[in-house]
Amino acid sequence: MNPKPFLQLDRVIHEKGRLPIMSLLAAAPELSFTDLRDTLNMTDGNLSMHIKTLQEAGFVSVTKSFHRHRPLTTCALTPAGRRAFSDYIDLLEQIVRQAKETKQSLQKK
Amino acid sequence: MQSLFMQTDWASENLQVIRTLMERGAVYRRALAPVMGSIGLTGLASAALAVIFGFDTGAAFTCYWMAVAVVCLAEALLLVRRQALKDHEPFWSPPTRRVTQALGPAFFCGMMAGLAVLRVDSAAARLLPPVWMVLYGCALHSAGFFMTRGFKLFGWGFIVAGCSWVLASPLSLPVAHCAMGFFFGGAHAAYGLYLHFTEKPGNAT
Repeated sequence: MNPKPFLQLDRVIHEKGRLPIMSLLAAAPELSFTDLRDTLNMTDGNLSMHIKTLQEAGFVSVTKSFHRHRPLTTCALTPAGRRAFSDYIDLLEQIVRQAKETKQSLQKK
Repeated sequence: MQSLFMQTDWASENLQVIRTLMERGAVYRRALAPVMGSIGLTGLASAALAVIFGFDTGAAFTCYWMAVAVVCLAEALLLVRRQALKDHEPFWSPPTRRVTQALGPAFFCGMMAGLAVLRVDSAAARLLPPVWMVLYGCALHSAGFFMTRGFKLFGWGFIVAGCSWVLASPLSLPVAHCAMGFFFGGAHAAYGLYLHFTEKPGNAT
């Protein structure tokens, strides 16, 4: 079994707190900070920290605006983030596929 | 080798988590306030018309409210389509499909209940409103799994109100018109108003 795909996994995405954020954002054009926080049951501080890391990596864009005189922060995946997330999923699928093939060949022996 | 297989288990679990979260992220939010508001206003107007014109036979009551339901569905579809065009999104998006599938069975049962009353005994029309309310509540509750959180609660409201109505003595048809207007009209209008003031912009998917 080739361990290469596992080593290629993006370390920014491959983190317990950041992977769910990327998954949610991949499914919607944009989500508000409160939607993310409520869906993932994260604290404001924890979510801010992970979003900042993703923003610095160029995977997430953050827009601050006002809605009915109240501040509204929305997050969205950047094209680079979408590409990185797609590559991450491809690698995971590759790992699963390789393991199945290895298992089958072992069973044949 | 064992650690590599453990990594594989972990990879499969991660893929499952991603899939679940992506499904949760694609929550249906399109045009909810306008849809609720327009259904509410149509319900209220229909109840007023029914009282004025006096559709007092069981068959007239059933046909009238089934026609109102069709009008409301058409209104909802048009509003959703308009929002999709405005946002340059596909109309038949996966969340729209999931919500439609969730609403479908209960709506179908409601239609069949109406047709059964028309075919078998139109005197049983007095029992239709609570049955429709319970079915509608179940439909909303099912769809609520793919919508914003309040819809499940709104569905429960209809279920509880419908069940209470079943347990109470059946209302006369003129009063039933008013009750239909109150629940299907007033409740929707109020919820539409609530959504209008609380919904965030960016009606994704």
